[in-house]
Amino acid sequence: MTDRTTLLTVRRLAKRYGDAEVLAEVDFDLRPGEILGIIGPNGAGKTTLMECLAGLLPADSGEVRVRGEPLPPARRREAMFYLPDGIAPWSDQAVWRVTGLFRKLHGFDPAREAVVVGRLELSPVLGKRVAELSKGYRRRLLLALALLTPQPILILDEPFDGFDLRQTLHVMDLLREVARERALILSIHQLKDAERICDRLLLLNAGRRLGFGTLADLAAQAGAAHADLEEVFLGLT
Amino acid sequence: MALPDRLRIAPVRIVHILLAHEIRGLLASKALWAMLLALAPLVGYGFVQAVALFAEASRSAIEFPELARGMTPLDGVLVPTLGAFYLAVTLLFPFVAIRAVGQDKQSGAAKLVEQFPVGAVTLLVVKMLAVGAAWCLASVPAISAIGIWALIGGHLYTPELFNLLLGHALYAFAITGIAFFAAAIADSVSTAAIVALAFTLGFWVLDFAAGSVQSSWLQALSQMSLTAALRQFEHGLFSLPHALEAASIGATLIAAAGVWLPGGRTPPRKIGLTVGLATLLAALLAAAGQAGVYRDVSEDRRNSFTPADEAALAHMDKELSITVYLSPDDSRYKDMEANVLGKLRRQVPKLAIRFGEAGRVGLYGSSGDDRYGLVVYEYAGKREQSRSSAPREILPILHGLAGVESAPAEMPVYPGYPLVADAGAWGSWFYLGLPILILLFWWRCRRPARTNFNQEEI
Repeated sequence: MTDRTTLLTVRRLAKRYGDAEVLAEVDFDLRPGEILGIIGPNGAGKTTLMECLAGLLPADSGEVRVRGEPLPPARRREAMFYLPDGIAPWSDQAVWRVTGLFRKLHGFDPAREAVVVGRLELSPVLGKRVAELSKGYRRRLLLALALLTPQPILILDEPFDGFDLRQTLHVMDLLREVARERALILSIHQLKDAERICDRLLLLNAGRRLGFGTLADLAAQAGAAHADLEEVFLGLT
Repeated sequence: MALPDRLRIAPVRIVHILLAHEIRGLLASKALWAMLLALAPLVGYGFVQAVALFAEASRSAIEFPELARGMTPLDGVLVPTLGAFYLAVTLLFPFVAIRAVGQDKQSGAAKLVEQFPVGAVTLLVVKMLAVGAAWCLASVPAISAIGIWALIGGHLYTPELFNLLLGHALYAFAITGIAFFAAAIADSVSTAAIVALAFTLGFWVLDFAAGSVQSSWLQALSQMSLTAALRQFEHGLFSLPHALEAASIGATLIAAAGVWLPGGRTPPRKIGLTVGLATLLAALLAAAGQAGVYRDVSEDRRNSFTPADEAALAHMDKELSITVYLSPDDSRYKDMEANVLGKLRRQVPKLAIRFGEAGRVGLYGSSGDDRYGLVVYEYAGKREQSRSSAPREILPILHGLAGVESAPAEMPVYPGYPLVADAGAWGSWFYLGLPILILLFWWRCRRPARTNFNQEEI
């Protein structure tokens, strides 16, 4: 069922690699302004789900609707932007060239770029080449690129990877601000981080949906009403 | 962090932004500068040697007009000088072109690029334009050599020169297509380089095989090799079939790269589209072969018979069959191909050339087959034969078979342009000056850049 408050509806999304089932008819939805966390053990299918969702990987079956309208893979970039984990794009170019590319391509003015750069504290490294950045700065640059896109749905794979606790909390504050205008889907392997920032959670294991809802919903499903996410995770997986 | 209003970006503006980005990426790559550093001395050495040999031959030719007519700067200087450029485009340029596509795949940037507000075809066209700019940069040593040739008094015939440069540009376009396709299907840049070199070196093997094996289909296939296409332009001939062939190979392979690059397509869909493109390429190549438009742009008109002979040959409306009892690597056959057969292919509407079965001449003597060296001409039920490879003896035979008269016509005599000059002093430009300039530009491109907005305002 799709109601008027649903921004994204995913139904029976499935993907196989040969005999291996990577996604088994996964269902979920996303509301405007919501932060949805995808959690699960390594190999659960989190990245595959996000890449199929973004249209970067062909799904075997399933349907994706945005505001109730079916959206084929070739048009997904109109509604969502996916930021992969572990990439090092344009390593020979200066940081400001890369942020400038995204700003210009998406029609933002320089003031927007300056705000994003300022909030992510990238100013000291703007003149450096991407290859010279530390892991933390590279992660911040990638987040800056995501924030210089206009799509209403932002999909981030491991957005807190490479950050210390203080930086993680800072980025969480920033993402909560972003969520006022755009819905977020975050893949997070640190359950404490997921518990802190996500409104609802999608728990995957071996490509199957084990649970979907708020922490309270998942806890009830696990039969431990006041458990934290780690206990729920251990209970359900 | 509310989303502010955005400007609507015109597609042309997006192309401009992406082109600037791609060119910056190429200028930041080591592959381009390493190729330029290798090219400068290579082209320079080729040029200095070519001028020295041309000067040596010119010394006696200056005194004898008959010898002077053989002194063509196109063969003596321009083609050898651009030969080093051809080598670099064959062996080094694929690395530059592969980087334009493969680097994005390897670094993960391709997943971001795929979400840009443009289609895969536009992205590839932009990358192709950027690689074209790199090719222009790579041609600087060769262009400077041509400038030096003019400066030391060498003769240049503009149509010949531009036709030669067009041939090299088309060759580079086809190599770009091969490199893009290799980068699109390969998992890594190094695998892509191996695939691209297998293609380009394959053309050499094809040419070699066609030059030494008596096989009509191999001969026909070798006509479609990119090196054979370039050779037409090096001989001062604008050949539309070969130009279309190189353009078709380049464009189809770039389109095939566009099929394989986006991750959202299933492998069966990619294979299906590639098979479709391969079929399209085969149709394009077949159509290109029928284009039949040739222009002899050489100053000495080496690719043409006299207008009267050409008019008579054009009226041969039945099939002219020529059976050659020679080995393809026999020098007599090579002479005949250059002086007669190649021209006949362009002039006679229905022509069939085949190799006859005859023992080859061994290294130390005849094979004993009396037919070896014979060429048999058949037209409209009539038959003639000859052992000559000279047009002045063969053309009357053909006119006789067709039953037409061809009145001899006076043609302007090509004077030749012998030149005793020494380009040795210009060696320092190629071995020192250009490399230093290349290093300076490289350093300038890799220098840390300034930011584009005032950080204090943040």
